[in-house]
Amino acid sequence: MTAMGELIQEIFALYAGRGGWFLGLLWDHFLLSGQAILLSGAIGLLLGIFIAQRPRLAPAVMGVCNVLYTIPAISLLGILIPFTGIGNKTALIALTIYGIMPMVRNTYVGLTTLDPDILEAANGMGSTPFQALLRVKLPMAAGVILAGVRNMVVMTVSVAGIASFVGAGGLGVSIYRGITIYNPAMTAAGSILIAALAVLLDLMLGRVEKYFKKRGS
Amino acid sequence: MAEPVIQFDRVCKSFDGRPVLRDFSLSIEKGTFLTVIGRSGCGKTTALRLVNGLISADSGRVLVQGRDVAGADPVALRRGIGYTIQNVGLFPHMTVEKNVAYVPAISKSPLWKGEERRKRAAELLESVGLEPGLAGRYPRELSGGQRQRVGIARALAARPDILLMDEPFGAVDEITRRQLQDEILRLHQEWGITILFVTHDIEEALKLGTRVLVMEEGRATQFAPPSEVMERPATPFAAQLVRRSRDFAPRL
Repeated sequence: MTAMGELIQEIFALYAGRGGWFLGLLWDHFLLSGQAILLSGAIGLLLGIFIAQRPRLAPAVMGVCNVLYTIPAISLLGILIPFTGIGNKTALIALTIYGIMPMVRNTYVGLTTLDPDILEAANGMGSTPFQALLRVKLPMAAGVILAGVRNMVVMTVSVAGIASFVGAGGLGVSIYRGITIYNPAMTAAGSILIAALAVLLDLMLGRVEKYFKKRGS
Repeated sequence: MAEPVIQFDRVCKSFDGRPVLRDFSLSIEKGTFLTVIGRSGCGKTTALRLVNGLISADSGRVLVQGRDVAGADPVALRRGIGYTIQNVGLFPHMTVEKNVAYVPAISKSPLWKGEERRKRAAELLESVGLEPGLAGRYPRELSGGQRQRVGIARALAARPDILLMDEPFGAVDEITRRQLQDEILRLHQEWGITILFVTHDIEEALKLGTRVLVMEEGRATQFAPPSEVMERPATPFAAQLVRRSRDFAPRL
């Protein structure tokens, strides 16, 4: 039998033999990335709305987000350890910082590239700035914003895989343990579940995004 | 003389140092259908946008129903004034019914709740010559002329006393434009509403207006009934406009 075949067999043996352990890791992974997704979603959306109303601030805010985004995930985790120690908290902060960038960018772009005639109509009919935002601008930008959400969700789920390097839970634990005890099947088993989770979420969000893009045209 | 519903009192307005309105004064009586004609950049759109406070005057005053626009709450002011623009600006994510009901919705009008909304939207659609069955459609499913009609219905939903129209029929074909012109004439007669209608088409200006305002370089150069503009154009520009509409002849 080939090495590849053996590996696959071992992976399935692992899932069968230690199903409970993997389910627990999957759940932890889901919780950790879910919290980070909610946090960066909320912060990124609000920040994007804020700079869309104040175009002068936009380059500075986007610049800072861009720089944070270019820091490799593993070194961002390392930088945070002296301040927040090891464990889930550090991982959550790093993932949140990471996810803000695509949210800010897409919210800002979505809100600032709307058809000016439609905004003129919304203003001219007596919308308050809040009504214009809630009833007209955000629904029309929803497609672009959701593209950012999708991007951010997939990235957060993947990057959460290395969070176990700072002692956080999740499927990274199985990857890390596989490396340390030299068990490639265990590393692969964790990676496959992360990829599956990311692909599944991407497909679901793709559906939602398509709906909003179609509606907003 | 009837009470003026809109008054411009020595209004000046510049954009980036370039004067667009110079010492512009005008008094519009209630129920007037005023068509405003002039070249691009003559200040006609600027004059219109001063009425609903989308821009503010550098000096002088604009009075709407006796109140200075500068001191009014812009949101309340605009809800009482219908507004349509050339590209209509329908909300693409809302059905026709929701578009029409927009101003009542943001004003939290109790008259437009649930079943009432459907009934009132259907009535409005009928009054602008549309099938009430279109209420559930989205703007992208409509023709250009239908969109214009929805735009007018939306502007009329809150029963405004004043309707501002900025080249509303500029982007539709000739036949549709004729139909829309007849429709707006009928609405003006039935509703007794005051209309300010900006156009660059002299035939449209003469056909629709009870008064025609000719504007040149930020000034009002003639303000008269259409017949008078036709017979006694006050400036060479007005004469040129009128002549062009008379000399219309097919190419041989």
